[in-house]
Amino acid sequence: MAENTISFVFPAFISDYRDDPSLSVPAFNDVFQAYLTMAASSVGNELLTFHPGSNPLLQDELLNQYISYIYGCSSAGILLNSGVKPVMTAGYSMGIYAALYSTGSISFETGLLFIQKAYESIRHTLPGNHYGMCGVIGLSEKDISGIAVHHNLNLAIVNRNSDHSFIIAGDSFHINVFLLKARDEGALHARSLGVTIPYHTSLLAEAAKLLSETVFTADVRAPEIPVISVLSQELIQAYRYTLELPCRLPLPSKP
Amino acid sequence: MAKITENTRIEVREIVLTFFAEECEADKSQINDNTSIIKDLDGDSLMFLELIEIFKKKYNLDIELKTIGKYAVKHPVETIGQLIEMQMLIIEHENRLLELEK
Repeated sequence: MAENTISFVFPAFISDYRDDPSLSVPAFNDVFQAYLTMAASSVGNELLTFHPGSNPLLQDELLNQYISYIYGCSSAGILLNSGVKPVMTAGYSMGIYAALYSTGSISFETGLLFIQKAYESIRHTLPGNHYGMCGVIGLSEKDISGIAVHHNLNLAIVNRNSDHSFIIAGDSFHINVFLLKARDEGALHARSLGVTIPYHTSLLAEAAKLLSETVFTADVRAPEIPVISVLSQELIQAYRYTLELPCRLPLPSKP
Repeated sequence: MAKITENTRIEVREIVLTFFAEECEADKSQINDNTSIIKDLDGDSLMFLELIEIFKKKYNLDIELKTIGKYAVKHPVETIGQLIEMQMLIIEHENRLLELEK
């Protein structure tokens, strides 16, 4: 009989906060509150106003990333303290920081610092809110490229979840046009991700350089558990890759 | 064009109910034709995609997902019963599904 294996996978951000995790994990709210308090002392008391069920903070991209990170660290902390040991971890996009925290590679505060510096670096090098991202399900890469070429849209596929599930980033007007055309072309599902930053595109190359200055001087240790890069699907365990990983904001566009 | 028998319908129904019971951690006996995929089961388009792949493999179907997507725009699927009916049409007509519109 095959042995059961467990992996931890962390989200990039939270679009909705519908369920009460304490219904299935009674200790969750206390642990989450403890992490929230720790985070507030590092990055600002505004975080303390967050409450599941009433969560306007999720409309703010930076605060949303903090909440997502705190949620991931709380969940991982509870599982690890309960003796649940994953064989590997991964984080979608900015979820990489919670993944690194869960492996012992970075401290909770260092993860917060990386999130803050990444956001500040992006806002400094890419001012304005005229970018966006969307998810599309049901079209192939060829279909997507066809729409982009036909309508002269400057977009990049930044994540391939499967042969028919993609994340796309670029100018927000082009994203909106793409969403309309994708539905016409037969996409089963196409929606905006509600962000104003084109994560994982070459537009963030300068921001990545700025962030690297913080990452390379931070206390980053080799992870105790292998980390998978969702961007490249590489198994990352070596110390040097751990250092490079949080800098991997841009993913070059496919030719 | 595949020949649809009563056995095909029974088989498709069984696959759909078992799939959603497992994916949505629902009681299979409580799922019926009127069950709303989104409201009652918290289902989503990724599940729909996975289910189509299951049927494509099982019945060796020649159909593009975007053909199903275009059909679904005019014939939205909200319930398990509607999903089963659409799946029957996909098996029967494959890539000629849109010709039903003409």
